[in-house]
Amino acid sequence: MSALLSVDDLRLDFVRDGRVASHALRGIDLELGRGEAMGIVGETGCGKTLTGLSVIRMLPTNATATGRIVFDGRDVLTLPERELRSIRGARISMVFQSPATSFNPVFPIGRQLQHVLERHMGMRRKESARRVAEVLGEVELPDPERTMGFYPHELSGGMLQRAMIAMAILCRPSLLIADEPTTALDVTLAEQILRLLRSLQRKHGFSVLFISHDLDLVGDFCDRVAVLYAGRVIESGPATELLVRPFHPYTRALLQALPRHAEPGTPLPAVSGSVPSGLEDPVGCAFAPRCPLVVPECAVRPPLAEVLPGRKVACYRWEVET
Amino acid sequence: MSALLELRSVVKDFPPRRRGGPRVRAVDGVDLTIEQGHTYGLVGESGSGKTTVARCILALTAATAGSIAYDGIDLTKADRKATRRMRRETQLVFQQPTAALDPRMIVRDLVAEPLVTHRLAKGAALRARVTKLLEEVGLSPTLIERYPHELSGGQCQRVVIARALSTGPRLLVLDEPTSALDIVVQAQILNLLIELRKEHGLSFLLISHDLSVIGHLSDRIGVMYLGRLVEEGPAREVLAAPRHPYTRALVGSTRGKGAASLDAPPPLLGETPPAWAIPSGCRFHTRCPLRRELGSPEICETDDPALRGESHAAACHFAEEAA
Amino acid sequence: MTTGVGVPWVEPDAIAPAATGMLARTQRTLRRDPAALFGSFVLFVFLLTAALAPWLAPNAEQGRGATDVGARELAPSWAHLFGTDHLGRDMLSRVIFGARPALLVAVAVVLLAVLVGVPLGMVAGFRGGRIDELLMRITDLFLSFPPLLLAMVITAVLGPSLIHASLALAVSWWPWYARLARGVTQSLRQAPFIDAARVFGVREPIILLRHILRNATTPILVQATVDAGTVILAIGSLSFLGLAAQPPTPDWGLMVANGRTSVVTEWWIATFPGLAIFLTTLGLNLLGDAMRDILDPRSAT
Repeated sequence: MSALLSVDDLRLDFVRDGRVASHALRGIDLELGRGEAMGIVGETGCGKTLTGLSVIRMLPTNATATGRIVFDGRDVLTLPERELRSIRGARISMVFQSPATSFNPVFPIGRQLQHVLERHMGMRRKESARRVAEVLGEVELPDPERTMGFYPHELSGGMLQRAMIAMAILCRPSLLIADEPTTALDVTLAEQILRLLRSLQRKHGFSVLFISHDLDLVGDFCDRVAVLYAGRVIESGPATELLVRPFHPYTRALLQALPRHAEPGTPLPAVSGSVPSGLEDPVGCAFAPRCPLVVPECAVRPPLAEVLPGRKVACYRWEVET
Repeated sequence: MSALLELRSVVKDFPPRRRGGPRVRAVDGVDLTIEQGHTYGLVGESGSGKTTVARCILALTAATAGSIAYDGIDLTKADRKATRRMRRETQLVFQQPTAALDPRMIVRDLVAEPLVTHRLAKGAALRARVTKLLEEVGLSPTLIERYPHELSGGQCQRVVIARALSTGPRLLVLDEPTSALDIVVQAQILNLLIELRKEHGLSFLLISHDLSVIGHLSDRIGVMYLGRLVEEGPAREVLAAPRHPYTRALVGSTRGKGAASLDAPPPLLGETPPAWAIPSGCRFHTRCPLRRELGSPEICETDDPALRGESHAAACHFAEEAA
Repeated sequence: MTTGVGVPWVEPDAIAPAATGMLARTQRTLRRDPAALFGSFVLFVFLLTAALAPWLAPNAEQGRGATDVGARELAPSWAHLFGTDHLGRDMLSRVIFGARPALLVAVAVVLLAVLVGVPLGMVAGFRGGRIDELLMRITDLFLSFPPLLLAMVITAVLGPSLIHASLALAVSWWPWYARLARGVTQSLRQAPFIDAARVFGVREPIILLRHILRNATTPILVQATVDAGTVILAIGSLSFLGLAAQPPTPDWGLMVANGRTSVVTEWWIATFPGLAIFLTTLGLNLLGDAMRDILDPRSAT
């Protein structure tokens, strides 16, 4: 079976005054199967959000992207705008971190969802209203008909997030991109939303690109995980294996930095230094300056290589235990 | 051991949002004691009132009722001198480090401001003190002329901590100090806080929604729900054997338990009701899984449970049943 | 769902901390924005003209008001680049000297409006409650009069003169600054860094001066620059109506009024001072927009 989405050497540069001002993505390689949930994790500035936006080509105006993003056999980066519009929001949809700002405050929720159906599926008003009510019920909003009449400010944060998920699944997408969908929510609410996403995915079989900074969360939700560092995938593999036995020293550093894994009150093993900025052009491995396992060979950047079935890592010393 | 900070029945009301509307009780009778050199972790979700408690302690807002005693002196009755001392000895570390710094000031002036305000140093001594503080929080002196927007989130938080340390405080109120930071940076800041606590004998009031951060730093934990403490006790006990159903839900919400955990029913249904519509009786009864399990006993809707227990207390009519 | 809009976006930390000095920001803004360059050029010429009028003007005496009835209403020529007016004065000299009252009035009115409006607005915004309510009702009262009409009434009562007209304009202008300062103060009052200052025990007046005023400077300066242009336009209108500058003051509005009746035949008399008003107002407006970028240390792009 072919992959639903395959990203090949995706590079994204920010341009200012006609010159490349910074490199945001330096060659991302990803493959996502049908019905699969893949987690993209990394710290601020690693490029995880931009990777997600690139897939629907919602790029910043001052950015240029090269490489290939093949979705269902077609390269998203070269599609004409018209065809792209028919994919966005329909075949590929997105759930954002802050539902409050993702709705237009002057239209009732129901109308905004209906617009999507009327635009993408050419539905009539009555038909779209029926379908919206049905989907609002699917995301477990009480009394869907009434909820449709509410304006965004009349709904709680949890209800808005449900409404946004409803909007995302209206046209039965084959890929859902979720960018930190629970980060802005209270923990007990986040639990409800996660379960909802999981059950909807089970029911409809769409693939999920789950973008998050939270390793534990990604580990629970996703089948596979890709770890990003400075605009590149440095490790990927099945979630259950990768998070239990990480190969890349950066992935290990991330896991060890979680207070949950440490004895209370003791210093956490935190690697020093910080993520290189998009301006720098590191020669060799970008993590080398911070890496406890660094060797002279690291001056040549290690390629992302499959070292065990399903496990890829971009490190020469992945076998060294720490 | 003596109490550094003591809150007794602190209440904070906010005026109604609309004229004639219901008044908003953000904090409803909180008792809390922070021992000298200890860290008290206050955990709760948005709307629980934990930040309002902090604002009352820092006198950023006046408590409607109750007393707050710092080092044995009741602040509601304290004179100017005592208030000023308390201002110097109690400092705040914010959630959004970038917003906590005046965007028009450079690092040097930001760190110097509290010292100048309290007339603690000037001239060469002031410069030396600023350098020393920056060193102490692990900031390179090359950053001294930067504006906040030219620093990373972690660096900003270090500046905020340097400012807080500058007046020689005894109590730091940490309001979600790491929730805006990346994992590795969070670990760096937590390590710094642990180190500073040891070195200066500081007491912390740590406010967070993240139980793992709370658990890592705290000696005692208080759990807030809708303006009340619903559970309180030694950190390890509360996390290992929570007595209140709400605390149990929070503990059960921590992730990293495998994909199967997502197929189990969620630990809690619904959302926290707004502070102007606090449910009758036990304020948690509308969402309580234990109440449903017990067949909805009437007492939950009629009687407001008090915190019961010695060192480890919970405000639940059926705390014993669940244990 | 957001549809295909390209948002100007930068991933935090992904973008360069660009050069940040005020000088660097000025250079960058001028290089990128031709409108800003034009605005600053106009302001520069305007200031220079006002300062050096006696040396720049071909005939300083006539610029100040001396007449030469023998050379009335001459069309532009090499001898008189802008022609001469009804009293034989060299129009170029008149227009050059006209920069002086224009500058003086613009600075005086805006300064007065800022000095009255900003402190009131800041106090209202910071304190809130009754004081705020009262001050804002007063500004509402002033704002409900059309500024030119109010100015006309005041000059009609006090008698027409440039000083009275300036005073009248300031009276109708300060409420805008009170509004602006109040708005900025209100949004800053809740900012965590203001809380931080309070926690450190910084006293209120110091908080207002050190933190709030400094952060309010940018919008106020921007507004002031734009307003300086508008004031020149307004005072021109008042002079045109005979309510501000009186002859023989070299006032642009007055000159336009003088040339009004003969604009078809002796077009130069009204056109050149009119052009001076237009260019100065436009230049100051464009400059105001550019100032926003120059004054804000956060504007990295």
